Amino acid sequence: MASSEKSVEQKEKIGIGAWIALVVLILVLSGAFRTVDGPLKVLDFTNLSGAFGKIGDTGANLIGTGGTGAKDGFMAGFNLIPAVMFFCGLLGVFEQLGAFRASDVLFRPLLRPLLGIPGKCGIAFISSFTGSDVAAVMTKELYEAGDITDDERTIFVAYQYAGSACINNTITGGAPLVAICPVALGPCIVIMFVCKVVGANIVRLLLKLKGKKAV
Amino acid sequence: MSEVKEAAVSQLPVKEKKVSIVDTFLKGCAKGFKVGIENITPAMILGYVLVYILKETGLMDLLGTVMAPVMGLFGLPGEAFAVLISAFFAKASGCATAASMYESGVLTLGQASMMLPACILMGTLIGHYARIVLVTDSNKKWHPLLIVVCLFDAALSLVIMRIILMTMGVM
Repeated sequence: MASSEKSVEQKEKIGIGAWIALVVLILVLSGAFRTVDGPLKVLDFTNLSGAFGKIGDTGANLIGTGGTGAKDGFMAGFNLIPAVMFFCGLLGVFEQLGAFRASDVLFRPLLRPLLGIPGKCGIAFISSFTGSDVAAVMTKELYEAGDITDDERTIFVAYQYAGSACINNTITGGAPLVAICPVALGPCIVIMFVCKVVGANIVRLLLKLKGKKAV
Repeated sequence: MSEVKEAAVSQLPVKEKKVSIVDTFLKGCAKGFKVGIENITPAMILGYVLVYILKETGLMDLLGTVMAPVMGLFGLPGEAFAVLISAFFAKASGCATAASMYESGVLTLGQASMMLPACILMGTLIGHYARIVLVTDSNKKWHPLLIVVCLFDAALSLVIMRIILMTMGVM
């Protein structure tokens, strides 16, 4: 433990409930229980989202088959709304249960090795998963308060810019593909996260090289 | 000094009346409905109409031929370029275009699915340039690099998704 005396940022305690909430949220999004038999299958976002019933013995649901253009687009959008509604409800609940606060504690010590930015960026970092605007404003404030350097800000922005609020955007904007993608939502988000970190590290490397040149 | 204490206290809203989990869930669902009606469905209409126009005018075939060499690098047909173009302007319409192309048989399930992370990573770059890059007031010298990095991230995600889907036997 690098700094057990980190009294400044000690604020609210993260209870066991928050950690359980975080674990459950990760499990639900991971797709780990998508194909299990028995009651554990309720721990999967896709299973919980359910499916429309079939109409008669046509094999098609109320969206039908063979539609085109705006009308088909509308039905496809309509098809996605229940899962999006459910997800937004779920996310609100997990946020209230403290899952986000727990993930902040989890990620804070990793920011320096992962992105080369200080742990103080933790809240902005976590909030950037679900919303781009708060994180952007916080990043500006972190720089203005002297907590991060200009280069650190550029690296952090490189991370935030790609995919912006990647969890929410995947659920909302990505909904048409999430509905059919064989790779579960959680792993998709992890892949995006990895790509974002790699991209930010390229910027980190370039800035470092530039820094060396300048000296 | 009581200042520190005050700051700590202000983090915890003064025993606000506790919102029940059920209320939070219902409010969240209602928010989701709004997003569905105001953001997703319009994007789907745009995506589906776009694909209809591309198909009926023959532009889809043209795009397929012209972009085939580039998209082929990622194991995608040339038509998939239309997905990335529309994603560049709006993530949702990129994904909707891919889904529509899967429905109409232009893309396979694997090809459409592998574009999900890419559509998000390089999606809505213009809109978010304002909302993120400009708002953070980051060093202008590096702005072009920031855009290139998003495109790189998307390309990387295509490669990763392709490998994963291939090991799953979907490609």
